[in-house]
Amino acid sequence: MNSFLRGLGTPILLLLSTAVVGTADERFYADVPHMVEQAHAAGLEQTFGGPWEYFVGGGAASFDCNGDRMPDLLISGGENPATLFVNQSSAGGDLRFTKQPLGLSKEDIAKVTGAYPVNIDNDAHMDVVLLRLGQNIVLQGQGNCQFAKANTTFSLHGGDAWTTGFSAIWEPDMTFPTLAFGNYIDRSLPGSPWGTCHDNVLARPKTEAGAKPDYADPTVLTPGYCALSVMFTDWNNSGEPALRITNDRQYYRGGQEQLWQVTPDQMPKAYTAHDGWQQLTIWGMGIASTDLDGDGHPEYALTSMGDTMLQTLDDEAQEGQPAYRDIAFEAGTTAHRPYVGDDIKPSTGWHSQFADMNNDGLSDLFIAKGNVEAMPDFAKDDPDNLLMGRRSGRFSEQGVAAGISLPTKGRGGIVEDFNADGMLDLLVVNRQENVTLFRNQGAKTEFGHRPMGNWIKIELQNGPVNPQAIGALIQIKTGNHSQTHRVQIGGGHASGQTGFVHFGLGVAERASIRIQWPNGDWSQPYRAFANNHVIIKRDGSDPLYWYLPD
Amino acid sequence: MTGPGIRAAFKSGLVAGLVLASVQCVLAQDKPWAETSAFLGQQVGQPEGNLDKAAMTRLIDIGEGLFASRFTVEDGAGRPHATQAIIPTKTGRRSVVGFARASGPDSNGCASCHNAPIVGGAGDFVTNVFLNEGFNQFDFQSTDPQFSNERGTNHIFGAGLIELLAREMTQDLQAIRTDALAKARSSGVDVRAGLVTKSVDFGAITASPDGIVGLDELDGVDTDLVIRPFSQKGVMTSLRQFTINAMNHHHGMQATERFGLRWTEEDDFDEDGHADELGAGDIAALVAWQASLPAPGQNTNDNADWANAAARGQVVFGALGCSSCHIEALPLRSLAFADPGPSDAAGTLSRAQVDTPAIYDLALLDWTKTLPRDDDGNILVPMFGDLKRHNMTDQTVDTLGNELMAQRFVDRTVFATTELWGVGSTAPYGHRNDFTTLDGIIQAHGGSARPARDAYLAAANQERDQLIAFLKSLVIENE
Repeated sequence: MNSFLRGLGTPILLLLSTAVVGTADERFYADVPHMVEQAHAAGLEQTFGGPWEYFVGGGAASFDCNGDRMPDLLISGGENPATLFVNQSSAGGDLRFTKQPLGLSKEDIAKVTGAYPVNIDNDAHMDVVLLRLGQNIVLQGQGNCQFAKANTTFSLHGGDAWTTGFSAIWEPDMTFPTLAFGNYIDRSLPGSPWGTCHDNVLARPKTEAGAKPDYADPTVLTPGYCALSVMFTDWNNSGEPALRITNDRQYYRGGQEQLWQVTPDQMPKAYTAHDGWQQLTIWGMGIASTDLDGDGHPEYALTSMGDTMLQTLDDEAQEGQPAYRDIAFEAGTTAHRPYVGDDIKPSTGWHSQFADMNNDGLSDLFIAKGNVEAMPDFAKDDPDNLLMGRRSGRFSEQGVAAGISLPTKGRGGIVEDFNADGMLDLLVVNRQENVTLFRNQGAKTEFGHRPMGNWIKIELQNGPVNPQAIGALIQIKTGNHSQTHRVQIGGGHASGQTGFVHFGLGVAERASIRIQWPNGDWSQPYRAFANNHVIIKRDGSDPLYWYLPD
Repeated sequence: MTGPGIRAAFKSGLVAGLVLASVQCVLAQDKPWAETSAFLGQQVGQPEGNLDKAAMTRLIDIGEGLFASRFTVEDGAGRPHATQAIIPTKTGRRSVVGFARASGPDSNGCASCHNAPIVGGAGDFVTNVFLNEGFNQFDFQSTDPQFSNERGTNHIFGAGLIELLAREMTQDLQAIRTDALAKARSSGVDVRAGLVTKSVDFGAITASPDGIVGLDELDGVDTDLVIRPFSQKGVMTSLRQFTINAMNHHHGMQATERFGLRWTEEDDFDEDGHADELGAGDIAALVAWQASLPAPGQNTNDNADWANAAARGQVVFGALGCSSCHIEALPLRSLAFADPGPSDAAGTLSRAQVDTPAIYDLALLDWTKTLPRDDDGNILVPMFGDLKRHNMTDQTVDTLGNELMAQRFVDRTVFATTELWGVGSTAPYGHRNDFTTLDGIIQAHGGSARPARDAYLAAANQERDQLIAFLKSLVIENE
C-alpha cells in the first residue's frame, strides 16, 4: 500500500474497494450531450505552461468585453502570456474566437495563473482580476475589449504572493466589492515549500463613499494553508456570505479546510471546532457549489487528489453550525480514479463546476482532471469527468459518451454557452497543451444531432451598484421542481465567469422566476417562455428577451 | 369504411364494435372481444416523409380508431402514481380510484366527450373538464373554482387548418422580430415594429440595437411570439402537444415522448404496470386524424327562409363588429401539415427532434378542394376567429370572469377567440359550456368585445334574429 492510500484513512479505503459496485450498475437513459472538440478550428491557441510554479493554476475568465452579450475569454498562460479571445460565434453555429491584444506590458500578462471577471467600479465595462505569480493585476475594462491596468487607480497593491484563488462579493451597503485572494506557497521562507503557506488576503474597499474603489488597506487572513480556491458562499442562508477556502495538504503542516466568517465592519474570523467546523484535510484544488437538495443550503464539491468530496450540511449537527457530511459515495461523485483505461491509480481533480449539460433540469458536475506533472502514484492519463445528474439524486459518469475523455492535464475550466444555442459548451485549460474547447451539439442520433431539454438563460441587472447582482439567488420553478443558482464570482480552479445564468428546464416549456437580490429583497415572480435569453431588471415589470443576430 | 362511417356509427351508439369492424382491412384482431384497444401500436414509430393518400388514409383510420377507443387498464389507462400535470409529476401516494371527476382520469376515450354531433365534435355541459395544473393539491381538487377552471369540450373539426394557420402566423411574427432587430442593429436606434399577420394585429415590439426586444405593447400573443391556437385560453401549441396532455389527463395514457425513459428514467411513470403506453406512432395517428377533420361548413338545410336570414345575418355580423375578432376567413399559404411541427418544446416531438417529419398533404383530402381561395392562391380558412387572446370582461359585464385561476401565464379574464365554425352544431356555449343560447353568450361578451356586444343589444330584433340564423348555419356536417 502506498503512502497515498495510507493517508486516506479507513473510510476511503472502503470506498475504493467497493467503488465498482456503486458506479457500474446503472444505465443512463437521459440525453448525453455530444461534445465536439474544436479549439483549433475555433481559433483558440493557448497553452498554460511553465515550471513547478505552474503545476497549479491554469484558469480562464469568461465575460463579455465588448457589449454584445457573448462570452469572451481571457486565458492564463503561466510562462506564456495571458491572451484575450473575442467571441465571434454565431447563434447555434460553430465556435469562433479572434485573438485580440490586451494592450498590457509583457511583464503584466506573464506569470498569470488564473483570471476572474468582476465589475469592480460598477461601470458598463467588466473588469478582470489577473491572479499571478507575483503582483496580482486588476484590469479595468474600457469598452470594446480594451483594458487598462488599474492597480493604482483602485489603490490595490496586488501583493507579491503566488495567487491561485479569488472571490468577490458586495458586502451590505458597500458601493464596491470586497475581494478575497487565495495564496499558495511562500517560496521565500526557509524550508519552502513544506509548511510555508502564504496567508490569504481580504481586500475591503474603504467605506467612505467615493468615485472610485480604494483597496489600500487589505486584511491578512492568517493562517493560510496553501489555498488553491476560495469562494464567498452563503453557507447557512443567512444573507451574510462566508469565505470558504480549500487548501492543499501536500504542503501545509497542521492545516485543514477553512471557512471564514466575514461579518460587515468586523475582522474576519475563522470557524473552529468550537463552532462546529470539522477538520478536513484534502489536496483541495477547486470548489463548486449548488443547492442539490433544495434545502436552501448549498452543497460543495471539493476536488482533490483521489476522491472528490461532496459535502452537505450534516442533519445531525447542531443547528447553525457548519458541520458537513460527505455524500460523494452515496451520490456517485467520488470520481476517484480514471473511468477509462486500466489505470487504477487515483485521479487528480482541479476545476469543478455544477451545470446542466443536457438541459434535463438536473445539475451535472464537471471536473477537470490531470496529473500534477509526473506523479507516479497518480493516474497518468486522467480524463475530465462529466457526472450527469439523475432523478434519484445520484450521478452517472458520461465522459466517454460525451466525448470529453481526453488524456489531457486539465486545470481550470469554463462551462458556458459560447454560441447562444442554450446548450452549455466547455473550455478546459490544460497544462503544457493547448486548451480544449468542446462545442455541445446536443444529443447524437442516427441522423445527426437533436436538441435536448428546454432551457432558459437569465441576465440580472441590479442597478448602479453591483450591476451584475453578484450574490443574488435565482430561483426557477417548473411544476414542482425548483432550481436555484447563486450568482457568484469565485471558486472553481483559478477560473470564473459572468454573464447569462443557464438553467435546463427538461420538458417544461415555461418557467416562473424569482430573484433574491443581493440586499435580500425578493422579487415578484417573473414568467418567461423556455428556450429564450431573458433579462430581468431590478424593479422591472416583465423580463426582456434578447436575441443574437441570426 | 373510413372516418365518416365511424363517426356516424359512434353517434348511433355502436361505436366500439363498429369501429373494430370497420377497420378490419387494417387490423388483425384475434379476439374481437378483447378488452384492449385494437388500434394501439398499429402505427409503429413516427412516420416520415410525404405520405401518399393511401398511407395517409391508413394512418388517419388508425387515429380515428384510437380517438374512438375506450381505453382500459389492459391498455395502460389510469395513472395511479401520476397526476394530470403536463410536466411528469408523481402523486404522493397511490390513487385508489380509477376515475376522478375533477383531477382525472375522467374518461376512458376521447370520443366519450368529443361526440356532438359526431366523433370529433364538442360535448354537452356534462362533458366539462376541470383544469388544475396538477402539481399540488390534486388530492383535494374539486369542482370548486378555487381548485379548478371548468371548461367545456370543444369540437376539433378543421383543427389541422387552424394549426397550419398558427404556424404561418408564428413564422410571420418571428420574421418581423428578426427584421426589426436587424434594422435596429444596422441603424443604431430602436425600431418599433407592428405585429400584423394575416390582418390580425398583435400589437408591437420595440427592437433595440443591442438585441433586446421590448414587449410592453404585445397584444393577445405570448412573449415568444408563438401563436398557440388550441384550448380556450390559447395556450397549446399543437395538436400533438394537446393530444399528449389530454391522453394523460383524461385517460392516464402516457406518451413515451414525454413520460418515457428519456425524461423520467422510467418506462412506466404512472406505475400502472404498463410501459410505454403510447408510442410516437400512436400519437402521430391521433394527430393525423385530427388534422384531417374537415372544416365545418354552412348549411341551412335547404330552408329558404333560414338561408335568407342567414345571409342577412352575415352582413349584420360584420356591421355589428363581431368580425373584428371573429374574422370570417384567414388566408393559408400551404396545406402541407408537417408532424411533428416546428414550434413545440422538448417533451413534445418537434421538427428538430426527428430526421424527417411526416407530411400530410391535406390537399389530398376531398373536403379541402371545396375551400375558397383568394387571388393569390391562398386557401381561405372560414373559421371566424383570429387566433388571438382578448380580455372578455369589464366592470359591468363580467360573466365570463368566473374563473379564479390564471392558466399558464394567461389571466383569468382573458380567452382566445372561439372559432365560430361549427357553432351551430355545438351548443351549449361559452368556455364553461353554460350558455344554452347564442343570444346568451353574445350578451356575456365584455371587455374587448363590449362594443360589439353593445351594438348587438342596440340592434333591431330582426337583425339580432338574422344574426342568430347566420350563426346557426355554421355547422359540422354530419355526412
